[in-house]
Amino acid sequence: MGVVRAVERNNVVEHGRAGGRPMLFAHGFGCDQSMWRFVWPAFADDHRIVLFDHVGMGGSDRGAFDTRRYASLRGYADDVLEICRELDLRDVVFVGHSVSAMIGVLAAIEEPDRFGHLILVGPSPRYVDDDGYAGGFTRGDIDELLDSLDSNYLGWSSAMAPVIMGNADRPELGEELTNSFCRADPDVAAQFARVTFLSDNRADLERVRTPSLVLQCSDDVIAPDAVGAYVAERLPESRLVRLRATGHCPNLSAPDETVAAMRAYLHA
Amino acid sequence: MTSEGELLEDTAEDLFESAPCGYLATRPDGTIVRVNRTFEEWTGMSREDLLGRRRFQELLSPGGRIYHETHIAPLLAMQGSAREIAVEIVRADGSRLPALVNAVVRRDADDRPRVVRITVFDATDRRRYEQELLKARRRDREIARQLQQSMLSGALPVAPGLDVDVAYRPAIEELDVGGDWYDAFWLDEGRTAGLVVGDVVGRGIEAAAAMGQLRSAVRALASTGLGPAALLDALDAFTRRHGVGAMTTVVYAELDLDGGELRFACAGHPPPLLVVPGEEPAFAWEGRSPPLDALVEPRPRREAHRRLPPGAAVVLYTDGLVERRSRSLQHGMERLLAQVTASRDAGAAALVAGVLEQLPEGETADDICVLAARLERRRRPR
Repeated sequence: MGVVRAVERNNVVEHGRAGGRPMLFAHGFGCDQSMWRFVWPAFADDHRIVLFDHVGMGGSDRGAFDTRRYASLRGYADDVLEICRELDLRDVVFVGHSVSAMIGVLAAIEEPDRFGHLILVGPSPRYVDDDGYAGGFTRGDIDELLDSLDSNYLGWSSAMAPVIMGNADRPELGEELTNSFCRADPDVAAQFARVTFLSDNRADLERVRTPSLVLQCSDDVIAPDAVGAYVAERLPESRLVRLRATGHCPNLSAPDETVAAMRAYLHA
Repeated sequence: MTSEGELLEDTAEDLFESAPCGYLATRPDGTIVRVNRTFEEWTGMSREDLLGRRRFQELLSPGGRIYHETHIAPLLAMQGSAREIAVEIVRADGSRLPALVNAVVRRDADDRPRVVRITVFDATDRRRYEQELLKARRRDREIARQLQQSMLSGALPVAPGLDVDVAYRPAIEELDVGGDWYDAFWLDEGRTAGLVVGDVVGRGIEAAAAMGQLRSAVRALASTGLGPAALLDALDAFTRRHGVGAMTTVVYAELDLDGGELRFACAGHPPPLLVVPGEEPAFAWEGRSPPLDALVEPRPRREAHRRLPPGAAVVLYTDGLVERRSRSLQHGMERLLAQVTASRDAGAAALVAGVLEQLPEGETADDICVLAARLERRRRPR
């Protein structure tokens, strides 16, 4: 089609060396591309850095949100592929955090030739427990999260919407925004949360042909250690690296360790 | 460490311990290193249970833990603070304390995060009120949706020689309803049909109610035999007199089944699309005038005539079909034209379905309304 420009829809921002090997960074549920701010500069000398926001988050085009397209992670994976095509990215190092790890998995299955390596930070193919599988959450837990989102997005008023969604380049407006990196339209956020936390991509893992690195944090309540091990075990060509970093966002809490693990993998 | 007796004398310490909010200090990973008495009392957990043993995020409900990892922790790392975050803290007895949380990161001389200070406010009543507000908001949307659906329902004209179909596709489902409408009715049973598509500015109950009034007004005015231009003049007067639906766009057409005469007038609305056998489908740019109640001094409106042969069709639609933020209006109209050309020989239902299908996914920020009417061939074509 090529009518909607994915680079605009997804607020694509580029850094680094234009001719370098492309690294495409995908943020997870909650915030926007600034989640990578402590990581991408370490690769800017020899890579073409491509950052973007998922539709409905950060500086993306909120008007492009369609409940049908984004009713599953496929829609988000399609966006990734469209960005790759528009920018003519090849041999891509895809770096996906949290739910974007699975989005990258889906994209790599769809167009394996496009991707050279996948780096999956805190991946989980399924968050809800199932027979013989401990995802870490019950269905009730997820319903509760969806309720709590409603409470937390009360601060998102329609009057602020244009400021939040369309003016990332106007810092004078930033003062007024609390929690600005993690703001989203409540309806979009609610659907993204539902799609994310109710997804089941376990069967997709073994279809991946791209070499993959799984970065697993200590004490990650969202993607527990056993889940990271599960992912690495089922990805045909993968390596699991356990980080000392705790929590779910080593890219923010321990960027040095994260960068070192990524470097070691890519240069191995 | 001070003893209990000294605490009461030490104002700063007492302010900390007995503050009217829960107060915690944690390491960057969330491990609790200090907690005040208020927090102990509110949660039933003692500092012996907490200090060095528990992380703040572990005290939250499962939903809150996810929210912490996906929002609070990133915000603390990126902007050094998080404000007004709604969470539930699980008390020692398993009950929930609805709370609003503020947190700020203190850094050491090397700018490394050293300690996170967290205040916890009891938000029990506030949360209850919020729940009521949310419930009311969902109810309002539901009412508006039902109102809209009830107003758009009703039988389409059925007669030999006329094939009419309509479709209404809302934008994002969670959004308030829009003010688009369609209508098709008999002016003269079995002989002349009135066809309408309109678009009231705005969303929600107000837009739905205005749409209902204008839709009824068009029906009432049409029955007096005014004809398209005069009908729009009268509708314009109606919007001014009653303060309803200013800047509404509408296209009104009368289709005579016997002679194939189509009379139409467009008030600021996208042009009708005419599909005539043996010709390229084309927009009808005649009979145009500004939207309703758009001019201080209204001028008489224009209308246009076309004679349609058997098998011809007219397609009316709202601008959601052709106008989107990510592309030009002209592009949208060209694409609509291409799609209609592809299904030009189809019946009204297939024509409408085809027009909606040509919309790429990911691009319905506005409601879309489509109406197609085809004059059926009386004789079988060769």
